[in-house]
Amino acid sequence: MDNGERFDTSRMKRSHWAAHFLEGWSVFIQNPLGKAGVGLLILFGLMAAASVIPPWIDPMYRPMTGVDPEIVRSVGPSLKHWLGTDFMGRDLFSQLLAGARIAFMVGVSAAFMTVVLGTAIGMTAGYMGRTVDTLLMRLADIIMVMPTLLFVLMLAALFGQLNIWTIVLIIGLFRWPGVSRVIRSQTLSLKQRPFIEAARVAGASHLRIIFRHIMPNVLPLSFLYMTFRVTSAITIEAALAFLGFGDPGTVSWGMMLQWVWKTGHMFKAPYWLLPPGICISLITLSFYMLGRAMDEVLDPRLRKEEDA
Amino acid sequence: MPEPILKLEEVSKTYRTKGSMFGGRAAGLVKALQCVSLEVLKGEIFGLVGESGSGKTTAGRLIVKLESPESGRVLLNGEVLSTLRGRRLKAYRRRVQMIFQDPYQSLNPQLSIYESVVEPITIHRLAAGRERMERVLSMIQTVGLSPPESFVNRYPHQLSGGQRQRVAIARAMVLEPDFVVADEPTSMLDASYSAKIFNIILEMRKRFGITILFITHSLAAARYLCDRIAVIYRGHLMEVGTAAEVIHHPLHPYTRALIDALPKFGLAEQIPRYNTLLEEERAGVEAVGCPFFMRCRKAHRTQCGREVPGLEPVGPGRFVACFFPGNGGGAGGKGS
Amino acid sequence: MNARTAGTGNRNSEAEDLLEVEDLSVGYRTKRGFMRAVDGISFSLKKGRSLGLVGESGCGKTTVGMTLMGLLPPNGEVRGGRILFKGEDLVQKTEEEMQRLRWNEIAMIFQAAMNALNPVQRVEKQIAEAILTHAPDLPEEEALRRVEGLFQMVNLPGERMHDYPHQYSGGMKQRAIIAMALACNPDLIIADEPTTALDVIVQHQILEEIKALQDDLGISLIFISHDISIVADVSHDIGVMYAGQLVEYGSREEVFGDPRHYYTRALLASYPTLAGEKRDLVPIPGETPSLVAPPSGCRFCDRCDAAAEACSLERPDWLEISPTHRVLCARCLSS
Ligand SMILES: Nc1ncnc2c1ncn2[C@@H]1O[C@H](COP(=O)(O)OP(=O)(O)OP(=O)(O)O)[C@@H](O)[C@H]1O
Ligand SMILES: Nc1ncnc2c1ncn2[C@@H]1O[C@H](COP(=O)(O)OP(=O)(O)OP(=O)(O)O)[C@@H](O)[C@H]1O
Ligand code: SF4
Ligand SMILES: [Mg+2]
Ligand SMILES: [Mg+2]
Repeated sequence: MDNGERFDTSRMKRSHWAAHFLEGWSVFIQNPLGKAGVGLLILFGLMAAASVIPPWIDPMYRPMTGVDPEIVRSVGPSLKHWLGTDFMGRDLFSQLLAGARIAFMVGVSAAFMTVVLGTAIGMTAGYMGRTVDTLLMRLADIIMVMPTLLFVLMLAALFGQLNIWTIVLIIGLFRWPGVSRVIRSQTLSLKQRPFIEAARVAGASHLRIIFRHIMPNVLPLSFLYMTFRVTSAITIEAALAFLGFGDPGTVSWGMMLQWVWKTGHMFKAPYWLLPPGICISLITLSFYMLGRAMDEVLDPRLRKEEDA
Repeated sequence: MPEPILKLEEVSKTYRTKGSMFGGRAAGLVKALQCVSLEVLKGEIFGLVGESGSGKTTAGRLIVKLESPESGRVLLNGEVLSTLRGRRLKAYRRRVQMIFQDPYQSLNPQLSIYESVVEPITIHRLAAGRERMERVLSMIQTVGLSPPESFVNRYPHQLSGGQRQRVAIARAMVLEPDFVVADEPTSMLDASYSAKIFNIILEMRKRFGITILFITHSLAAARYLCDRIAVIYRGHLMEVGTAAEVIHHPLHPYTRALIDALPKFGLAEQIPRYNTLLEEERAGVEAVGCPFFMRCRKAHRTQCGREVPGLEPVGPGRFVACFFPGNGGGAGGKGS
Repeated sequence: MNARTAGTGNRNSEAEDLLEVEDLSVGYRTKRGFMRAVDGISFSLKKGRSLGLVGESGCGKTTVGMTLMGLLPPNGEVRGGRILFKGEDLVQKTEEEMQRLRWNEIAMIFQAAMNALNPVQRVEKQIAEAILTHAPDLPEEEALRRVEGLFQMVNLPGERMHDYPHQYSGGMKQRAIIAMALACNPDLIIADEPTTALDVIVQHQILEEIKALQDDLGISLIFISHDISIVADVSHDIGVMYAGQLVEYGSREEVFGDPRHYYTRALLASYPTLAGEKRDLVPIPGETPSLVAPPSGCRFCDRCDAAAEACSLERPDWLEISPTHRVLCARCLSS
């Protein structure tokens, strides 16, 4: 951008987005759902950040490899082990903290992939129309009806244990159709708007129209979908791990649940079973609440732009 | 006599509408334009006047190639539009621009005014750097947004409707096109803004020698702006002639009905009443004849109801599509 | 024509005022502060007459209408003045009292109302319901018969009563809306841009309809539009509004024949007409002032080519040109 001394377009651009963001945020934070969601997420964020502390205090708090030399079986909470230990004496509290980190990692990266794929495909299908649209949407239908979980289970059965990033990749590849449908219909309605036609008359290429004119107008919706996708990615990872197909090299809440179950502590050690279970429910709930609150922020905004 | 820059040759366009599931409307065909032929001369402002749904926008969209005709040809400077592809299409896009009806919809809400106006230049690589910026600023100044520096960084939602429409005009004019389609540029604006926009359009013509197709539903606006006028009704051209003649001596019953219907502003005595509109539509006739037959007081049941009148010359540069133009006619002459 | 022009706007005539608005101020609470959308306007309306309010978009025309109906949005607030309708002050009335008045005595044709017909209900049903909510004791057949009469009144074919709104054209929808406004025999109808979305020919028919109904039924009418030519067509009296104020008020003949306020003149000069010599259109320069912090003097000052220094400082006073014509301008006589 050629910003002369007289005005600075990029700075303006930033403040435009900042203003939008601040306005959205002030609506958002007044929403009780939004407040609760953000509060919970901050809590989980702190947990994830705190996960580095216990191993640093004592190597026995390493979530995966550290065992308390004095304990060889699962015991209940104590001063030394706030939540108790698992079957081989590993500290449950540090596992729970590490799990938060994994949950964020899996959730956010899988959701990001889903949304990038879904947005790109949805915009292309909606904008190009005709055959491209039909092909992409059929593909979306096919993938949509395939149960992700089952498919991952089959893959895991074929290739043995899956690495956590493979799981993220698979979730990303399987969950985009929902996003792409929404983005496609948004694109379809945008395509009819005169400013897109004005761009065509000005001679803009398809790529330019998609990225310069359509994308900025669908991105808010994409972000909204990202929060919902985080929820589903976390649940899928947890389910996989619980069923024994998780990455054995990571400590996720799903893994913790699997260990409880596999070692037969299901009904004997509530101190072990409950925390990861509650955490999974709460983190998915908080992302969901976040999404709902965002929905309420975005919706009138989208409508207002329609009117304006 | 200046040569024609734009020609429509027997252009027809039909839209297929999807039946609506709840309304019980069947899928159907909307004949938006039927066998329309016209010529626009270099450097003139040509008015296309008609009521809502008469096909005005469709004609404009065909000309800027947002749509292609079903039959017939559109030619600009002798070049047939439907054959344009790739590089030649892009060159065409540089020469022909459109100003859209609704200023609230024709600017991308996410782009600043500078970004909106600079885009066509960037696309066609007409200028870069400092020169490009100067060009944008001077164009924004030309459309009456001054000082331009105080507007370039704003976003559409920070402007009034009239200001937005001026940005849209700047965006179209910044390419210095040969031909501009202005599709009811003021129908969403107040009278005080309209006059401003009209004057900018006149100014643009004077400055750049642009030819303009001015689409409007208001005969009064057409009278003020246009050199020549075509009146369109349900996709058919009804009357073509110089603005002064068509407005002061309308020959087609529909044009006369339009003039009758205009609010007279206390000047009723100065404007003759023609009374060519039937109070109630003729019932139970199929629309095979003249498109205006159903509402025409002067119609001859036998001829008008069966045949479509062609657009025939009735004087130098004057065309009317009516079997009984002027005061002659079937059921009634000049109104009481 | 003669019957309409006679005694135009004569405030001293013996017919009593149906409506008298005195120094009405209305505003909206917004994020940027209190927006004074209507600032101290006064006018009166006699039985059977019509008042046209003109002015550009955002000058407060709809706000006046909504205030008379008692239908201001939650952030709207009457800040002063009185609205005397049949001698009673509407501003003091409670919501229940207003509800009784609304539709029965004052009806409104809302801006863009034709899109507000319920798409899944037959038109006759919708109008009958409007009647029945205000006269619950009426048997349904009687209500339907009234609807039939209303259809006749607005020149809608009776057999189209049973149709759904989407089967109507724009003009027919607008007629149905007018029928609905007439349903409870109101004394005053407020028509807010009733023809803006319609074609000239249809618009002409509707305007004729409104004029005829008004003459026949003796209804008073407040006609709101940004289009001077339409207002000139239907109204006996004209109020020209600018930035929340009434700047010129009087009989149609006087206001348009001898406009005194510079804004009225500018408005007329910017309006293309068919009759007379073709002349240059003179746009009004500049933009309307902010209504949150309006200028202290004349609000048109920045755009007025006759403005003197005093104009921007002092609030101009009303000047009486004739008993039926007054203007809010400090310098209107000097030219
Ligand atoms: N994309 C479309 N699909 C189906 N029908 C269409 C489409 N575009 C226009 N039409 C129909 O074609 C006819 C002509 O439309 P057009 O937009 O050209 O009218 P217009 O003269 O510009 O009207 P207005 O003054 O309301 O803008 C109308 O009946 C309209 O409903
Ligand atoms: N609910 C509201 N909250 C805040 N401001 C409002 C509200 N309704 C209207 N306004 C503002 O009040 C002013 C007057 O509005 P109003 O609708 O009365 O104008 P109008 O003359 O009817 O305009 P138009 O011709 O566009 O209908 C405008 O500036 C408008 O933006
Ligand atoms: S051809 Fe006949 S029906 Fe058509 S406009 Fe002329 S007189 Fe009327
Ligand atoms: Mg159109
Ligand atoms: Mg209004």
